[in-house]
Amino acid sequence: MTLSVTGLSAVRSGRMILFPTSVDIPPRARIGLVGSSGSGKSTLGHALIDDLRKQGHSVAHVPQSPDEALDPLRSMAFHWREAEVALGLAPGSADQETLFHALDIAGGDLRKRPWGWSRCRLLRFAISMALSGQPVLIVFDDPTSALDPVVAAATMDLLNTFLTEQETAMILITHDLGLAAQHVESLLLLDQGRLVEEGPTQQVLEAPQTQAAKDLAAHRNWMSLPC
Amino acid sequence: MIKVFGGLLLRATVVLFGTAILTFALLWHAPGDPAQAIAMARFDALLTEDVIAQVREEVGLNMTFWQAFWAWLGPLLQLDFGNSSVTGRPVWADLQAAISYTFPLALVALGIGLAISIPLAQLATKRPGGWLDRFAVGVASLGNAIPAYWLGLILILIFAVQLAWLPALGASTPAHAVLPALTLGLGVAASLTRIIRSGILEARGQSFLPAVRRRGVSERAVGRDHIAPHAAVPVITVFGLELAFLLEGLVLVEVIFGRPGLGTFLVSAILARDFPQVQAVVVLTALIFVIVNLLIDLIYRVIDPRIGGHDA
Amino acid sequence: MLVVKNLTVKRGARVTLHDISLTLAAGETLAVVGESGAGKSTLIGAILGLIAPSSGAVTWNGKPTGDIRPALVMQEPRAAFNPTMSLHRSVMEPVVAQNMTLPVGRLERLCKGLEIPVEMLHRRPTEVSIGQAQRVGILRALIASSPLVLFDEPLSALDATTQKHTAQLISDLQKEEGFAALIVTHDLGYAVAHADQIAVLKAGRIEELCGSADFAQAPQTPYGKTLRDAAITLGALEAAE
Repeated sequence: MTLSVTGLSAVRSGRMILFPTSVDIPPRARIGLVGSSGSGKSTLGHALIDDLRKQGHSVAHVPQSPDEALDPLRSMAFHWREAEVALGLAPGSADQETLFHALDIAGGDLRKRPWGWSRCRLLRFAISMALSGQPVLIVFDDPTSALDPVVAAATMDLLNTFLTEQETAMILITHDLGLAAQHVESLLLLDQGRLVEEGPTQQVLEAPQTQAAKDLAAHRNWMSLPC
Repeated sequence: MIKVFGGLLLRATVVLFGTAILTFALLWHAPGDPAQAIAMARFDALLTEDVIAQVREEVGLNMTFWQAFWAWLGPLLQLDFGNSSVTGRPVWADLQAAISYTFPLALVALGIGLAISIPLAQLATKRPGGWLDRFAVGVASLGNAIPAYWLGLILILIFAVQLAWLPALGASTPAHAVLPALTLGLGVAASLTRIIRSGILEARGQSFLPAVRRRGVSERAVGRDHIAPHAAVPVITVFGLELAFLLEGLVLVEVIFGRPGLGTFLVSAILARDFPQVQAVVVLTALIFVIVNLLIDLIYRVIDPRIGGHDA
Repeated sequence: MLVVKNLTVKRGARVTLHDISLTLAAGETLAVVGESGAGKSTLIGAILGLIAPSSGAVTWNGKPTGDIRPALVMQEPRAAFNPTMSLHRSVMEPVVAQNMTLPVGRLERLCKGLEIPVEMLHRRPTEVSIGQAQRVGILRALIASSPLVLFDEPLSALDATTQKHTAQLISDLQKEEGFAALIVTHDLGYAVAHADQIAVLKAGRIEELCGSADFAQAPQTPYGKTLRDAAITLGALEAAE
């Protein structure tokens, strides 16, 4: 079932930071939401989730950094239980074992508070919490910039593997078009609060129409490796 | 954890000891002749030099400071508070009586303070910056600035003298405790309101709260599980300090309201240079203070084990 | 010429850097690539003269590096500036501290090269964007003409397009000014694109040290390959077809 949001906008301090935007998300879509800082992409991500939740869908959002996802005074087990309760699941019914294995964090001590785990495992824990409700859409806000490249790459690989077997649609928010291009099938480009270009990944990369798209495409990676 | 507890216990012991020495020294070097003061308190009249000398010998004021100190400390470590220099009776008996008037008053005052400050802070933070919020902060600041003895006298003036609703002096009936408890309680409420308010506001600003809400956690659960514990930490801290002010306020309030409690006990003991009695109150007070703060330190570490332990 | 020879740094019983050796000539760029905890910040501290080596030496032209006052560009521009001072004052701090007189027009020239409007320097750090603040950080590092400039993750706080742009500005200025640049980064793409040499740091040791072009072609060690593959997965480097 295609998810739809229309006319999402946001104002902060009297200024419009996101102009009315509509997005359609087909089932199992892999969408990249890309833009430079201040383009409104995080805002759109939040607004999207809030709106879809109001529509009654089961959706999830993974913030960029573990500090924005977890309460430092509460144990990991508490967070998991809390998420289960919020989703209306009976305690223990979320398939924690499978998810932890899929994200390679099995065996962690759940009685610990967040600062007892490494950042990488914390983020993967947040991802597995998000996936525990079997959402129809999961939004990742900049999942790699807070992590070292090796673990970030590994996290992306694990995610891709897991999601291919699910019905869940995914939106990847990032300022890095190169990252998005590696992992998504279609792109939504934001510039200064407006959706300026969208389309299949290859098409946007090879034939960008707007200036913003051209800049992003031209700078999407540092260089191509020689063969 | 044992190491931490041991460290805190050591600190507590040092504080107790230091307090004991300091107050003993202050009283010892207070102006005037202690023997004369004691003798006057005993016999309630001016006396000859012989009597004063006799008192001096009896009470042990001929010793040096350290001799006198150890003579007092020794029995204390065996839980013997000694005998009053004035009456000769064991200190503990009179102290117990004084405590029985004071502790209930202190608890009621604390209760009044919490009963006012918690709802007031919660109401104020419903709309931060709104008129109720600013009013609450203003009143709380005013309350902090007003000395307990002034407030007590004003309350006596209004409720006991002009309106004659409540009795002013003495401690014979529960009604006698209302005005003193109110005087102290309002002061406690003033400090606590501001701290609870800022604790709540800060707790609300924590960066992970939007994500928790986005997971579908109810607002009530957020308040109970994520805001309240975080807000509690500064409040608990201030609680320890608040206790100090409460003890200080108690002395003044008891004297004003003519209640026979720890405060009046202490004041008359100081005036009479009754070393054992003064030291007993001081040690007791220091002990309470130290124990409460020890408990607070331990509670912190349960709520947030990062405090006091880890490397930055 | 920066020479680091058999540098070992211990903190208590822990060895944070083990037997590090590398060289860097004027006008050259060396990228130190590694993950958190590898010892990159310790290495910077040792080169700046802030951390004493347990054994080995760090010298510039034979003398201790402290003598030439290497400059440092830090990762987080907001944390690198005193928020109560104007940017201009912060920038001039090294000049004032070393009792230097600036050649006429140097500030304006560097500002132009970093695309900073000179009037912007009168603002406070909180009044400019992160990208602008970071360029001012670079300005502060270059103003006193130190022959060695260290960069600690200079681009991590910036977004992708700004990163590429700022990296280019740094490279261009380096050609003009001729300083030696040691760049600590976890971004292999940046290292390959802008450095002459790459040193791969892992758990306090140098795993690989070679020219960046050679590294990009074929990393010699398994860890080097892991880093390269990660960079491809993350889109920092584009694999050849």
